[in-house]
Amino acid sequence: MIPTEWFLVLSAILFAIGVCGVLTRRNGITIFMSIELMINAVNLTFVAYARLFGDLHGVMFVFFIMAIAAAEAAVGLAIFISLFHHRASIDVDEANLMHW
Amino acid sequence: MLEFIVFFFFAAVAIVFALVVILHRNPVVGALSLVASFFALAVMYVLLDAPFLAALQVIVYAGAIMVLFLFVIMLLNLQHVAEPNTRPVQQFLGYFASATFAAGLVYYVSKYAVLHALPPTRFSTSAQAIGERLFEAYIFPFEMVSILLLAAIVGALMLSGKAAVAIR
Repeated sequence: MIPTEWFLVLSAILFAIGVCGVLTRRNGITIFMSIELMINAVNLTFVAYARLFGDLHGVMFVFFIMAIAAAEAAVGLAIFISLFHHRASIDVDEANLMHW
Repeated sequence: MLEFIVFFFFAAVAIVFALVVILHRNPVVGALSLVASFFALAVMYVLLDAPFLAALQVIVYAGAIMVLFLFVIMLLNLQHVAEPNTRPVQQFLGYFASATFAAGLVYYVSKYAVLHALPPTRFSTSAQAIGERLFEAYIFPFEMVSILLLAAIVGALMLSGKAAVAIR
């Protein structure tokens, strides 16, 4: 049986890779994919702890997170399509409509 | 022994393809690498005794959500978008901060995050157990998620449809 720590460390690494993508890239779609990566890292943590405690609540959380991630992807990508219509680019530096 | 080999192989696959996602310039390659990373995570769910979640991961994430990403990338024709390196200092700070974050997170997770007193238990995550839980304890969140998905459909249509373009 694989120790829970290893899954947690893998999840931490994947989460940090997602953070790196959000901080360093400016392509909106890539930033969004990094966010999906972070969501999946958190899901892995939920399932790892669910197995550790032998209870199903963590699994249910992952179930709902997946459904909400689908909704989030739909709305987020629609926002990027709208941004592309306005600016002909999805570089997030261009998205400065609310810049003070 | 075999499951350790499987774990390390697919952990390496997940990490390498996740790095490709954030380092590759072409978003199509990034999206396909993300699909590969999600498949590796589905293997992790199987190793964690949750095959139902592994199936959901493949169907919902690798199937539905990533197809949506690829569809948008193709629709907006973003395959050849250049990303000029205009802010090297901030980019370096981003890499440095996330590397520090990764090191700290791995250190504290491996040191403190697990309660060693608990013996590892096997638990059932069959579709039947999840379905019973879903329609007993989690019936309210389940209905809320269905309303949220409906709202997301309407919102996506509002934001990207012809009406939004016409208002502009």
